[in-house]
Amino acid sequence: MGDLQFGQIIGYWPDLVDGILVTIKLSAVSVSLGLVLGLALALARYSGIPWLNWPAYAFIEFFRTTPPLVQIIWLYYGLPALVGGDLNAFWSAAVALGLNIAAFFAEIFRAGIAGIDRTQWQAARVLGLNLGDTLRFVILPQALRNVLPPTGTTVIYLVKGTALATAIGTPELLRVGQLISLETFRPVETLTIVAIAYFVLTYPIALAFQALERRFAVSRT
Amino acid sequence: MSAPQAQPLVVIDSVVKRYGAETVLDRVSLNVGAGQVMVVIGPSGSGKSTLLRCLAGLEPIQKGRILVEDVVVSKGTEEAGPPPDAAAAGRLRHEVGMVFQSFNLFPHLTVMDNITLAPRRVRGMGKDEAEALAVELLRRVGLEDKRGVHPARLSGGQQQRAAIARALAMRPRIMLFDEVTSALDPELVGEVLKTMRELAEQGMTMLVVTHEMGFARDVADNVVFMDRGAIVERAPPDRIFSEPAEARTRAFLERLLEREGGNRRVR
Repeated sequence: MGDLQFGQIIGYWPDLVDGILVTIKLSAVSVSLGLVLGLALALARYSGIPWLNWPAYAFIEFFRTTPPLVQIIWLYYGLPALVGGDLNAFWSAAVALGLNIAAFFAEIFRAGIAGIDRTQWQAARVLGLNLGDTLRFVILPQALRNVLPPTGTTVIYLVKGTALATAIGTPELLRVGQLISLETFRPVETLTIVAIAYFVLTYPIALAFQALERRFAVSRT
Repeated sequence: MSAPQAQPLVVIDSVVKRYGAETVLDRVSLNVGAGQVMVVIGPSGSGKSTLLRCLAGLEPIQKGRILVEDVVVSKGTEEAGPPPDAAAAGRLRHEVGMVFQSFNLFPHLTVMDNITLAPRRVRGMGKDEAEALAVELLRRVGLEDKRGVHPARLSGGQQQRAAIARALAMRPRIMLFDEVTSALDPELVGEVLKTMRELAEQGMTMLVVTHEMGFARDVADNVVFMDRGAIVERAPPDRIFSEPAEARTRAFLERLLEREGGNRRVR
């Protein structure tokens, strides 16, 4: 214990803050992309319409079953090789992680929608509500409550997963930590501080989802 | 067979409904005139609820046609010719209100929002107008003090009355009631039947599937007895209850009255 020296690492705080900001941006972009795409995929799956269902199914299974690290590398190195052009390290990671997390959100949302009783659809139908209004006002608000806990877990998983972007040199939190430990030869202290930073980032997300759950639970009675 | 009425509101014409190989409705034809209350009785599995669901557009039919106000709203998938005009059929669908056995209120919305949602989204009604309408309807069903409450806080009878108010908010020309008191505790049945009686007195056209023979006797203009997917007999209530023409009707009513008599003794 006496050999551990944190003071030296703390001196790098401006770099750590930069890394944290990149991690936040990376998380925000990929979660946003994942939520929108995930909902679209869930609806495509739930619709049962073959030409929507099958592509959505293929997408989800492809991105669920291959490593996100490989997906990031494909997008960063593979895509330019295949079709030309290129994405910078930040956007490659953000898009790859977004596509990956969309597959997980899609399955969560699909289960949430399927969990709503068929009679709710029927009640909306006999009132003359169209599909869009039925989803927006009847089905999704109820599904939201059921999907909050797994969605929160998945968001937290994604925030930590942004560390994979290190592999292509995106200057996010873990990458910054690695550079600091190379300079200081203090990997244990550096990575401990990095881990604490991830906790500081993710724990408020957990609290926020708990608060949302409480809010939506109360409004039902 | 009664004489054909001038311009029935609803025409069910030789409807065949199958689930896979099982025929649930077998060439069912039935007219409901404006302002009429028609009660459909029959053993479970006789197809009476399916008939209402087809009429409400919740189930496709394989053969025959269903017309509301002379517009085809549903046509057999196996029939030749073009499908019904979707826009016109959709408009007429709004004229058909339905109340379910399990209420099916939207649990995340207040009673007020349950009622105003469809008028606002489907009829394009303004918020104030829709809420004024909801308040009036809630007064009619005796729930004026429950407008801000979520359905979970209501008793079954109150939920069902709220569901009736929700259906009425679309100003339907005909109301379908699918065993609406079957899921209720016995002491709550009366308040829902009272609401339905008042609705009938106000001239609403109603098609009611129920096991409440007292309601059928007092309120119905005609009673239809269904068995095994077909209409066995149709007659005014005084006739069908005192001298049913068909043996199957008689057997069903005897079983039912026996059970009701038993219940009465228990109470």
